[in-house]
Amino acid sequence: MSKVLIVDDAAFMRTSLKLMLERNGFTVVGEAENGSVAIQKYGELSPDIVTMDITMPLLDGIEATKKIREIDPKAVIIIVSAMGQEAWVKDAVLAGAKNFIVKPFKEDHVLKVLNSI
Amino acid sequence: MAELLEEIDVTEEDSQKDKFLTFSLGKEFYGVEIIYVTEIIGIQPITEVPELPVYIKGIINLRGKIIPVMDVRLRFKKEANDYNDRTCIIVIDVKEISIGLIVDAVSDVLDISSQDIVPPPDVNVNSHNRFIKGIGKVGNDVKLLLDCEKLISDDDAQSLTNI
Amino acid sequence: MSDISKEPMLEMYKFETTQLLEQLEQILIRSEKSNCYSPEAINEVFRIMHTIKGSSAMMIFNGISTLAHSIEDLFYYLREFKPSDVDYEKLTDLVLNCADFMKDELGKIENGVEPDGNPEELVNLIKVFLSGIKQKDNKSIDSKELTREKSANPSDEDKQKYYISYNLNNSSKPHYKATIFFEDGCEMENIRAFSIIHALNDIADEIHSEPSDIIENENSAEIIKREGIKIYFSSDSEYDIIFKLLNDAIFLKKLELDELKDIEEMQNVKQKKTIDLDDKPIIPESSRLHEKEHTNKSFQQNIISVNLQKLDKLMDLVGELVISEAMVTSNPDLKGLNLDNFNKAANQLKKITGELQDIVMSIRMVPLSATFQKMNRIVRDMCKKLNKDVELEIIGEETEVDKNIIENISDPLMHLIRNAIDHGIETVEERTLKGKNPKGKVTLEAKNEGGEVIILVKDDGKGLNKEKILKKAIDNGLVQDNGKEISDREIFSMIFLPGFSTKESVTEFSGRGVGMDVVSNNIEKVGGVVNVDSVTDAGTTMTIKIPLTLAIIDGMNIRVGDSTFTIPIISIKESFRIKEDELITDPDGNEMIMVRGDCYPILRIHKKFNISDSIHNIHEGITIMVESEMNTVCLFADELLGEQQVVVKALPQYIKKVKGITGCTLLGEGTISLILDIAGLVKSNYK
Repeated sequence: MSKVLIVDDAAFMRTSLKLMLERNGFTVVGEAENGSVAIQKYGELSPDIVTMDITMPLLDGIEATKKIREIDPKAVIIIVSAMGQEAWVKDAVLAGAKNFIVKPFKEDHVLKVLNSI
Repeated sequence: MAELLEEIDVTEEDSQKDKFLTFSLGKEFYGVEIIYVTEIIGIQPITEVPELPVYIKGIINLRGKIIPVMDVRLRFKKEANDYNDRTCIIVIDVKEISIGLIVDAVSDVLDISSQDIVPPPDVNVNSHNRFIKGIGKVGNDVKLLLDCEKLISDDDAQSLTNI
Repeated sequence: MSDISKEPMLEMYKFETTQLLEQLEQILIRSEKSNCYSPEAINEVFRIMHTIKGSSAMMIFNGISTLAHSIEDLFYYLREFKPSDVDYEKLTDLVLNCADFMKDELGKIENGVEPDGNPEELVNLIKVFLSGIKQKDNKSIDSKELTREKSANPSDEDKQKYYISYNLNNSSKPHYKATIFFEDGCEMENIRAFSIIHALNDIADEIHSEPSDIIENENSAEIIKREGIKIYFSSDSEYDIIFKLLNDAIFLKKLELDELKDIEEMQNVKQKKTIDLDDKPIIPESSRLHEKEHTNKSFQQNIISVNLQKLDKLMDLVGELVISEAMVTSNPDLKGLNLDNFNKAANQLKKITGELQDIVMSIRMVPLSATFQKMNRIVRDMCKKLNKDVELEIIGEETEVDKNIIENISDPLMHLIRNAIDHGIETVEERTLKGKNPKGKVTLEAKNEGGEVIILVKDDGKGLNKEKILKKAIDNGLVQDNGKEISDREIFSMIFLPGFSTKESVTEFSGRGVGMDVVSNNIEKVGGVVNVDSVTDAGTTMTIKIPLTLAIIDGMNIRVGDSTFTIPIISIKESFRIKEDELITDPDGNEMIMVRGDCYPILRIHKKFNISDSIHNIHEGITIMVESEMNTVCLFADELLGEQQVVVKALPQYIKKVKGITGCTLLGEGTISLILDIAGLVKSNYK
């Protein structure tokens, strides 16, 4: 039963991902709407998996990935990105993201990525 | 699994299906399908609301929920009766509308299977017979089975606003 | 997306997208006013469009998603290349039109209709606009061009930052070739390949791939999809370990890993290009603004959105709690008992339920700012169309009102503002001739006053024409010309009468087939009133008074026969007892009374509602003077029962609307009291 922290500035995206994950036996321990909150919540909740949006206010997903990996080099971060953001996904992978999901995400894709962890 | 669920559903419905709550208005006995009935309460203080048709006696407070109450005698153009300690309000839920039916007295819940139900004689559609869905035979007795949806049907609800 | 149940998400989608669009409008209008789009604004628009694109795609609202995507592209370009010489006015127009399109589509979704609008035209306009900017700005584009703008010219190899980073000669390790195919439809194959290469980097050297320009070349994803990716590398690790590492990657359709005996194949590839894993991010740093200046955003984490129905339910429950508390503490069984400790505990309970009620009420309170800010758009559009110059001043937007009220006053406010600009504010020429500031001003102000919220819509235009209004009202038979003196206020309030419009030509904006009566009706619906003051050439002020909340009102309970009614305290002016000889009866049997020189009609509630067993002698009962808008009526009841805060409940749906009754409430003993619709009663009496 993996604990997941969902990071996305859009509540809609957070909720659809949350419903999907909970439906499949994951425990969503928290949500964050930007990178700084994500870092803070990562410390508080120590989730097994973080799903990370890229474009967010205050602190974007790539910076947040870097910071979280600085705090915890073992952190498992899955990038949630849209088509057309290839270059950023690459940066995120360089920053230590484990894998990525492409929006609009399909349930089987999401599960495949998360279950591979 | 899905099949199993379906089966349960069917039996659930079955247990409710041919059951009717019977009540009396004067000498006649009526029945109302049990699936509509949510509860039966004694007569309560009724708050009159202006501009309503005579058969809508007003509204009552059902544990914080405000529902209208209909005097079934008046709905059937029978003469009014004074309420007494046998008078009951049958609360029914029809199409998401909760309404209380004031009746003389409530009797039993009976099983009346469909082969014991005959359609009412085809009289004038405007007569009050239109509230009767069928006539149920129970031994030597006859129960008039109410059509709850017609009882509170839209044309009447509309007439409320037009008065 | 078929596997996500759409329904529960739909509400959220609508809510969030609507909010984002409102935010978008504000940014656009603010930016247009200052005639420049700050990097923050551009980034913000980009982000909003990005989010809308994503969630619309999830919900399969492709029209909205496609349009959002093209706006995103446009703002991406603005953000990355900071082109000079952009027609910001045109940009604003364009994006606002797009926002309107999305709002229309949302409207369709709201009404359960398929959002079938075709955004093609707008998408094309954006494309044309974007290529216009590009042309103007082409001085240095080539060197700045990114992966997104796919002109990556393969021959410009010198511009690309690939270089061979590994030493060829240091290769005593075994060499491998991995060929990988990804599952169909897994998307971003190039990045998946990149991730694998990145992971491989820990245990391998001399990594090369074919195709090699996997990130930079957008087509690489296509190639990898078709032909797979071949990775050449050398490594000390065992075959099994390497295989496992590669095989752990997800969405793999096929993996082949071969040890190369002949390193020539590898050499050949190496001649071409090497993936530069230490490549600096291609995206300029500026693209990921940290937006530290938006500190207010950090509050958001303490706010959650709640389903209004749940809130209403909570509200109901608290209302019932208050009633039950009264039923317990003033229970007749307790009469005559000495209950010191009970009373102490009861007081504590009362205090807590009171606080609970306050909190629940405050949860429903929402600031007017979003509603007020929406008006900027109205003012902007109207000024453009009517060629007027008007500034909108907003005061007190932080004032809070009940959520229900917000929903009901948005349209009336819009109407009043349109009206102010259309009919109130003069053209620039007219204003100059009159010696006024050529720029007109509309002020939208909100403030708390007692238990009410006052909203003012004020313009400095030409003011209302009293004579014209009166004449029109008389012509239309709305009032009788009986030579009686009518106060200015009364004349002005005639514009709210149904079927009244002083402007002969109905303009596109304030006309729309609805008159000002719709405004006053909407405001009355939420228990408010609207008044007009106007001074020729100085302007017109509309004053809207609305209660803070609809759900709980201060009421005066009265008894008529066996029935209890509740009158909102806000409408009561005074109450008094009338002597029989003070009563005036006209030949039609209408009763009246003179109070301080004014004559008021008397409305006997028992007559109106046909209640028997009530007091008929006027001196035995009580007369309550109530006011709605400009008119006053004296209600006659048996007695006053006392003041009480009551929770307003709707009458059962089945009963629908009863004239003169707005709803009902439960009193302490569980009995029902009907709440009188004072505005309706007064109106019916004046007809």
